[in-house]
Amino acid sequence: MADTNAHRHGLEPFLASVESAAEARVRVGVVSDRGFLTLRLDPRNGAATAAARILGQPLPPASSAYTEVVHRVYWLGPDEWLIETGANRAAELISELSEALAGRPAAVNDVSGGHVSLRVSGVDARTVLAKGCTLDMHPREFGPGQCARTSLAKAVVVLSVADDAPTYSVIVGRSSSDYLCRWLAHAARPHGVRFSILQDT
Amino acid sequence: MLRIPCPCCGERDEAEFRYGGEVPGSIPQTDVGDEAWADYLFARDNPKGLVHERWCHSHGCGQWFHVVRDTVTHRIHAVYGVGEPRPVVDCSNESQADGGR
Ligand SMILES: [Zn+2]
Repeated sequence: MADTNAHRHGLEPFLASVESAAEARVRVGVVSDRGFLTLRLDPRNGAATAAARILGQPLPPASSAYTEVVHRVYWLGPDEWLIETGANRAAELISELSEALAGRPAAVNDVSGGHVSLRVSGVDARTVLAKGCTLDMHPREFGPGQCARTSLAKAVVVLSVADDAPTYSVIVGRSSSDYLCRWLAHAARPHGVRFSILQDT
Repeated sequence: MLRIPCPCCGERDEAEFRYGGEVPGSIPQTDVGDEAWADYLFARDNPKGLVHERWCHSHGCGQWFHVVRDTVTHRIHAVYGVGEPRPVVDCSNESQADGGR
């Protein structure tokens, strides 16, 4: 699968050229083999329940939250969610969701090829992300289980807190991923940064 | 830079939003003639003081909503959703002290 992954995120030239610090206070992992679906529906009718049954977990109803049970389901808007799952599960999931939502005002689309998933962790991860993000990223305001679609540097990202290590998940458009990784390398250089490829977690 | 309180997401930077302009009056009847239609489509009050505007949180939740902003002070007095009635806003704001409106 390595070749497929490499093709998927397109970050090899960057990863081959970036320097690794001897002592890294920030680590950036490019997560390979991720699949992404967008789900749009009106949560006021039964569509949310039908989708939740297929997903095996509830859609986060509140703003700025994600749920993680079988998949990761991020709240993007009052009628929009992003589902992150294994790349090999996306096709199956999309057909099951399409079947369950047939005849309802809902849309489900495979956007796997358009997204890249990064994990940013380490003791200085928050400091570095805060350089390019105007959210209040203090753990009291933005802690595990929360997500936000917002701007990081000049890119639009879905930012979420995986744990209070802290580990952040950054989902970025594929066409912005090279730019964002270069921005991260630059912003994190004073802290020491190491990039790597992470297998499906 | 404005900090705009999105009804869905809370306060975010202006750079995350798309400006949709001043809210026009209600849609005229089809038989009122060109002048009334041109007025509805193109003419805006552009007041010095409180203005009702449309904004879209395009880099966030993607939702359109309304903002009541003071064009003198940039202070945002209220936000309200699409289809919601205009809130009553206290006009004893700082722009009057500045001689606004
Ligand atoms: Zn919003």
